[in-house]
Amino acid sequence: MDEGIKQTIKEYILKEFLPGERPDALGDSTPLVSGGILDSIATLKLVAFLEERYEIRLEAHEASAENLNTIEEIARLVQSKKG
Amino acid sequence: MNFSLTEEQKTLRESIVRFARNELNEDVVERDRTQTFRRDLWTKCGEMGILGLPIPEEYGGSGLDVLSTAIALEALGYGCSDAGFVFSISAHLLPCVVPIGTFGTEEQKKRLLPDLCGGKRIAANAMTEPGTGSDAFAMKTRAVRDGRGFRLAGTKMFCSNGPIADLAVVFAVTDPEKGYHGGITTFLVEKETEGFRASQKFEKMGLRTSPIGELVLENAFVSEDAVLGGVGGGATVFAHSMDWERILLFATHVGTMERLLEKAVEYARIRTQFGQPIGKFQGVSHKIADMKVRLEAARLLVYRSAWKLGERKSVSMDASITKLFVSESLLETALDTVQVLGGYGFMTEYEVERALRDAIGSTIYSGTSEMQRNIIARWLGL
Repeated sequence: MDEGIKQTIKEYILKEFLPGERPDALGDSTPLVSGGILDSIATLKLVAFLEERYEIRLEAHEASAENLNTIEEIARLVQSKKG
Repeated sequence: MNFSLTEEQKTLRESIVRFARNELNEDVVERDRTQTFRRDLWTKCGEMGILGLPIPEEYGGSGLDVLSTAIALEALGYGCSDAGFVFSISAHLLPCVVPIGTFGTEEQKKRLLPDLCGGKRIAANAMTEPGTGSDAFAMKTRAVRDGRGFRLAGTKMFCSNGPIADLAVVFAVTDPEKGYHGGITTFLVEKETEGFRASQKFEKMGLRTSPIGELVLENAFVSEDAVLGGVGGGATVFAHSMDWERILLFATHVGTMERLLEKAVEYARIRTQFGQPIGKFQGVSHKIADMKVRLEAARLLVYRSAWKLGERKSVSMDASITKLFVSESLLETALDTVQVLGGYGFMTEYEVERALRDAIGSTIYSGTSEMQRNIIARWLGL
């Protein structure tokens, strides 16, 4: 797993959705969807960020809890799309 | 940055304005009074290529880019004084035909798009429910797996084109635990489907020539090939539809605002009171100047957002800004036009009281003004 991708995603989530939160409070396996961090608009923003940052295109059904619930899963999705 | 239209776009605009004025404006006052939707005019719009503007030609569309589609719809709103009919076209094209073109399988596109673009079939979007409007994803309609398909059960409310639709784009919950994140699926439900029916039709204040009603699903069975955008892809399909609708439907309103502005200017130049045209009174002229300012700002927002959508960039916030500004501008402009025309503006035959009634819904449909402000604030990190 590319640690750089995980770090970039973590920084984005901290900056956009958890302002003022300590960085060590957000781990690679912290639940984002079931933990209420990613609601509908936050998910739209995250997907837009991933698509632009990594020049990938997510299919409609890929913006799911299975793929977006943790930084680990998001990074895995990004890596699989990058090929 | 070049703001000029291409020769093709100018020709497109002129041809649609001419078509709309010549073909679509007959008996609008009476149609409004009787809530009549004219199917023959719909067929003409299909023949003209309006019902599939951005769809590739191989599927029966006109193959326009997004900005040109906005220019075409603006021209339609300018040339056609039946805002209800224009609304029906938008409700068919933007949240139904466009998502099929974007998310549909090759089989779905070949099977459905030619008739939808050609005017032979009408589509309706079915998202809102009796208990869910702004909180759209709290929907109750369920789709449960049944062999090689799904059974859909629920009631959809305020479906524009619902009473006349041959096909509905229906959103339903397939996994309640996942909810927004992969638990909503989009289905293409055809009129003939057993257990699917149009129920009550509503009478409304404006846009009266655009039929609106309830759609009921009573364990309606659809096969797997009715799924649009994959199982669990409903939230993305809906977000995409809203991006298109909040930009392109509101392009039609830019055209309407221009038509109302021209009407107000014309009237203010010829109507005299106290020995001079009323346009010479600052109370009237400033009102009309503000209409012009709103028109030009609205047009720039629509064009920029349409361009950005065509570049496949994230446009959700731009779409909300556009929708919010254009709808509130349209409403102000319609109200001001009635005021400028005074007692005549209040009379049905002058056709501006209808424009005001038609405008009122614009700050409600496609997400209320309040929701647009919420969305913009959230995108700003608030």
